[in-house]
Amino acid sequence: MDGVSLQVKAGDFFGFLGPNGAGKTTTINAIVGLARLNGGSIRVFGYDNLTQWRDARRFIGLAPQEYNFDRYLSIRDILIYQAGYFGIRARDVSERADMLLERFGLASKAKLDYLKLSGGQKRRLTLARALINSPQLLILDEPTAGVDVELRLELWELLQQLNREGMTIFLTTHYLEEAERLCRDVGIIRAGKLVAQEPMQELLTRKGKGLQEVFLELTRSGTAELS
Amino acid sequence: MNSVGMFTLMKREMVRSLKIINQVIWPPMITTALYVFVFGVALGSRVHAPHGMSYSVFLIPGLIMLQVIDSSYGECSSSVFQARFMNWIQEMLIAPMSAYEIVFGYILGSITRAMLIACLIMGLGFALVHTLPRDWLLYFAVIVDVALLFSALGVIFGLMAEKFDHLAVLTTFAITPLVFVGSAFTPAQFLPPSILRFEYFNPMFYAIDAFRYSYTSASYLPLWLSMAVITGLAALCLGIALAMAVTGYKLRV
Repeated sequence: MDGVSLQVKAGDFFGFLGPNGAGKTTTINAIVGLARLNGGSIRVFGYDNLTQWRDARRFIGLAPQEYNFDRYLSIRDILIYQAGYFGIRARDVSERADMLLERFGLASKAKLDYLKLSGGQKRRLTLARALINSPQLLILDEPTAGVDVELRLELWELLQQLNREGMTIFLTTHYLEEAERLCRDVGIIRAGKLVAQEPMQELLTRKGKGLQEVFLELTRSGTAELS
Repeated sequence: MNSVGMFTLMKREMVRSLKIINQVIWPPMITTALYVFVFGVALGSRVHAPHGMSYSVFLIPGLIMLQVIDSSYGECSSSVFQARFMNWIQEMLIAPMSAYEIVFGYILGSITRAMLIACLIMGLGFALVHTLPRDWLLYFAVIVDVALLFSALGVIFGLMAEKFDHLAVLTTFAITPLVFVGSAFTPAQFLPPSILRFEYFNPMFYAIDAFRYSYTSASYLPLWLSMAVITGLAALCLGIALAMAVTGYKLRV
């Protein structure tokens, strides 16, 4: 990353876009503590994620792109144990786990191994796991990659609902129509540098183009900067 | 401190052990029963053990240590490596858990498993050759100490390994040979001095000798020396494992 300075307002639906290898996942890794910082700082709801990392992490739920579930646990236990790692006792999170399984259509699969789930169901489980600790910031890394249109629309509706309930959402996606439809604010990154950050509509209006054209302009041109 | 997180991980390790019970619980029991039968019952009457004890009684503590060492190293090394390889270690790394809590969660789970296996084999030993520990405190202290040493070693190798094959290197080329020559089967008194000299560099020798004391109230080396060596090595390995985890070695990019 090279001098990226980014601010996401509480309650925002923020889209973080960029081509492959631009630094989207690295940015997410830095926010959630999976990457070692060799400079700069990150604050999550006012907490420094290096010096006050325990407080900062309690606010965050991460839905990674890959399915990285513990294969020795049942689907329900995946949620219960994730809450446990966040310091929440099983008896205190049991109801929430059942509610999330119900909400994501996984209640009937609760005792199964996650390998028995379809791709779409695994994607839903990823989201349920990210929500088990009641985060205020939900970070989604390509949440709709590889899912069918029906599930994608379903997930969009769900994410919008979570955002309406006050959850801040930080979304990376390669589907620009997804970002255009869901995100109020957008950041565009190219080769580790932030080349745009502003409200989606302002950006599109000012450029007089669709998001795809703006995205290509900003990420392809060697000297592209906002003007 | 996130003690709930640490004990959740410890519990998760126990769940894992029970899910693969045919790999981790039954094999040590069956292997021990076979060793007792072949070396103890069939050949034991022809072998003289020190201090007038029967060879079968001499054998049991060594067999328990063999399984404790194997189980604690295997548990931590494979579990940490699998969590890295399949990337579900992210579940802990993004949570408010410190590197210390993660390492101790794995190690506590591993020690518990080693304790369970040791107690099962102790029961088997009682059933087969009617022997039980005389010093229970020492019995449990040595198991915890040795399991801590090899669990920490397991964490180190689990973090370093690039493929499963790497985990077997230590077992194949160090742990198993050193346990076999570390007086698990052969009383130290019977070894030629030229070989005995090398035993002082073998940590298994100290572990087995100290543990045998809990059964027979007799040991080749002074008990304090064996305990000091095992504890020192456990502290060293634990320190290395913690340092690797704190720096995020092969955990954080």
